[in-house]
Order: sequence, then C-alpha cells, then structure tokens
Amino acid sequence: MIFGSENSTLAQYLREVWQGRYFWMSLVRMDLRSRYRGSALGMGWSLLNPIFMTAILCTVFSTLFGQDLHTFAPYVMTGLAVWSYLSQSMTLGCLCFHQSEAYIMQHPSPMAIYPLRVVLGNCFHFGISLCLAILLALWGTGWPGVLPLLSLVPSIGLFLLFGWSLACIFGLMTVHFRDVKHLTEVGMQVLMYLTPVWYPAKLLQERGLGWLVQVNPLAPFLELVRAPLLDHTVPPPLVFGSALVVALASFAIASWSLRVREPKLIFYL
Amino acid sequence: MASVELNNLGLTFTVRHDKHITLKDFLVGRIFRGFTQKPMQVRALSGIDLRVNEGERLGIIGHNGAGKSTLLKVLAGIYQPSEGSRRVQGRISSLFDIALGFEQEANGWENIRFRCYLQGETPAGVKAKLQEIAEFSELGDFLNMPVRYYSAGMRVRLAFSIATAIDPEILLVDEVLSAGDLAFQGKAHRRMREMMAKAQIMIMVSHDLEAARGVCNQVLWLEHGTVRMLGPASQVIEAYQQWAGTAQQRGESNPGGQVVQAAA
Repeated sequence: MIFGSENSTLAQYLREVWQGRYFWMSLVRMDLRSRYRGSALGMGWSLLNPIFMTAILCTVFSTLFGQDLHTFAPYVMTGLAVWSYLSQSMTLGCLCFHQSEAYIMQHPSPMAIYPLRVVLGNCFHFGISLCLAILLALWGTGWPGVLPLLSLVPSIGLFLLFGWSLACIFGLMTVHFRDVKHLTEVGMQVLMYLTPVWYPAKLLQERGLGWLVQVNPLAPFLELVRAPLLDHTVPPPLVFGSALVVALASFAIASWSLRVREPKLIFYL
Repeated sequence: MASVELNNLGLTFTVRHDKHITLKDFLVGRIFRGFTQKPMQVRALSGIDLRVNEGERLGIIGHNGAGKSTLLKVLAGIYQPSEGSRRVQGRISSLFDIALGFEQEANGWENIRFRCYLQGETPAGVKAKLQEIAEFSELGDFLNMPVRYYSAGMRVRLAFSIATAIDPEILLVDEVLSAGDLAFQGKAHRRMREMMAKAQIMIMVSHDLEAARGVCNQVLWLEHGTVRMLGPASQVIEAYQQWAGTAQQRGESNPGGQVVQAAA
C-alpha cells in the first residue's frame, strides 16, 4: 500500500484511511484495554464513573436546591455524557499526534487516523454513558417514543464528526505550540461553568445570562441528547441545524489544516 | 514491475534550537521581530535523480549526516519532498527504527497483531503468521507479558521477527540490523539475506562497505545531501574508500566521523 502519496484527492485519502482500518481499530482496542489494565473492575469503571458523578451531583442539588430527582438525574447524566465526550476529544486530542510519533516515523499512514484513534476510544465511553442516560430517563420521565429515540442516530454521527474535528484541530495546535495542551486543560474548567452541563439552564436565564448558552457552540450538542430523552421530542430544526453547522465548520477547519500541515507535521514532532 | 523514480528531488526542513516554538515566542515574535531566535533551515537533500528498476540492489553510502537515512525516509514516503517528484510502483516495506513503536502496556501477542496491521496485513494474514513470528522470536511465555517488562534485546528480537515476516516488493533497510545475542544474530542475518533475495527491489543504507559490496549491485554515494557518485557497486565503493583515505591523511574529518572514531 502506498500511503501519503503526493497530490492525493479526498477520495484517495479516505480510501487509505479505510485500508489502514485494522491498524487503527487495533490501536483503539488496545487503548481501551490498557486504560483499565490491572484494575479489578476493568471496564466496569466506565460504567461506574458516570454513575458516581451523577449520584454525587444529584445528592448535592436535591438537598441544597430541592431539585426533583426524576427530571434532574437524567439531566445531569446526559450533561456529563456529552461534556466528557467533547472535553476529552479536546484534551486527549492535544496529544494525538505526539503519542503516535513512533508510528508516524515508521510508516506513512494518513495522519487522520490518529485523531480518529482518540475519538473512537472516547466514543466507547460516550456510548456507555448514553445507555445509562437512556435507562435513567426511562425511570425518571418515562418512554420517550420511537421517533425521538431514533433521532439519536444522526445525532451520534454529528458527535463523531465534531469529536474528530476537535481532536484534529487541538492535536495540530499542540504540535506547533506545546502550551496549547495546558491552555486547553484550564480552558476546559472555564468552559464547563459556561455550559449547562450539570446546573439547570434556567439558572442562567433567570440571571439574564441566557445568551451564554445561545453562543456556546457546545450547547446544541447537549440539546441533541436532552430533547429526546428529557422532553420526549425530536430536537427542533434550529438545534439540529446549529449542531450541523458547528460540526461541519469545525470539520472544514480540521481537514483543511490537516491537508496543509500534514506533509510538514513530522518535522515538528 | 516494481520501480522507484526520483526526479530532481530536494528536501528542506526547518528546525529550531529547542525544537518547539512556544506560544509566547510566536506572539512576541510577531510583535517584536528579531527578538526571538531565528529558525534554522536544513537543506537535507537536493537535486537527487535516481531510478531503481526491478531486480536492482542499491546501496547508499556516505559519511554521517550526508542524508542517507533521510533519503530512505523520503523513498518510504514518510518525508514529503520539498521539491521534485517521487514515483513509486509497488508495495514498500521498510525496516528502520523497528525497536520503536511498541505499545508498552500491551503484551507481546497484541503488539505482534497491531504491528502486522501497520505493515498492511489483514486479520487472516496475521492469523497465519502469528505462530511463525512467535517461534522465530523464541520469546515463548514472555509474549504474554506487557512489553514494558522486556529487556532491550527481547524488544529487538520481537521487532525484528515481526518486521521481517513479510513478502516485500520494495524493501528499504537502514543499516545492518544487529538483533539480539549471537545465536539470534546468525539467524537474523540469514533471514535478512532471504528477504533481500526475495524482494524485487532492495535499497539499503550501510556503513559496512563489505556488506554493501556483497549484497548490492548498484551503489549511491551521498555527500552533503547530493549525489556524489552513482554506479556499479565495486567502482563506487573503491572511489569512496580512496576519498576517505585521503581525507584522513589530510586530517579532514566530518562531524560524524569524529564521533565514530572516538567510540571505536
């Protein structure tokens, strides 16, 4: 197979990514396995982590602010699922090219597979949290209906696209400026408070800060999951549309920068 | 028909002293030009014309830092040329830096699998080769252990066993691989010779002139990133030896040469 040949078109590029699928899929599998190697519960932690986080936040909010658990628990669980997927795509994405340096030095594979490795690993955990959120929503708010549940399928496609783009952009930035990794970690802390992950969005609106949610590019992604599970509706076109625009715009930036930077990337590792 | 063709190929890359520019450097550099260190341009290769046809065995020689390994990486498609063109027909298998790129936490078997995939194998192909690779490495039960606990020699054994379990069309080799202890080295050398014989095209970088003379029919002598001489193996090697001899008499030496002499 001739990877990384000059002047390759997008179709050729994608074909190369596909030809290398056994390689990146085995990397993803290994990442998952080694993440929990040596721990007694293993993959069980992927399940327990969001449960514990939700339990803690629910205890705090229901005792302090008297939130109704039936709606609040699924609200927190969906928020955490989406937030940890997106934030990890950025923070883990920062190192996606560095951690694969040895492979980049040995074989000319298309670089797009390295952010993909990060995102697919994240996706696995996202899937688990999402299943938990669906179960919790069934308990808390009842059966959402077939159509709203089906709407999650295209939404997950958008999540994948957006996650890959984020990982790719942050990975490329970190290659050129090492500081980006640390800036991202701090930035995530700030961003978490600006995003209605675990506090009710109403809190912001009451204080006249509702615009924070409207300009937050991550907010429509939260709504993509919350509309079907909590409100039992298909996400409104505006939500779906803005998520689509954000995902496509980030994908355009990511793939364009990758195309420009890929030939030189190896000299900066 | 496998073939490799380079036309007027050049490679320039930019390095900085501490390799990475910081965000501060970038911003400050934009505002106060001249305050930050200037990046260094390295002209690694220039004006390389080369054509290797099926059946040819090409050796690349030259002093340290002449661009031998860089040229090999360009041939492999790892480095993209800054100018000129590279045309390759056939599947490339490369043998360099093989001891790098293990997943430390994964065990030997897992590492065999994913490295085979990296070399372009399919699951069926890997299944067929798995046992053979394990046997050649002679690592036995150690394969069930995470690679993190392997000694350097064990790593090289495993890497070599995986990397050479291929049917190469175009084979690129950097240096003669010194793999493992004496017993394994003999085995490794035999295997290398077999592979080199099987490949349709073989290109190797070597410091061992005798090895190059024995294996290659064509030799390329690189100097400062340009072709000094290209032709039949014995002719080029003789010229190189003569040059190296007179350079030594004159007391000239290249940067790498000094280090090699001190170490010897």
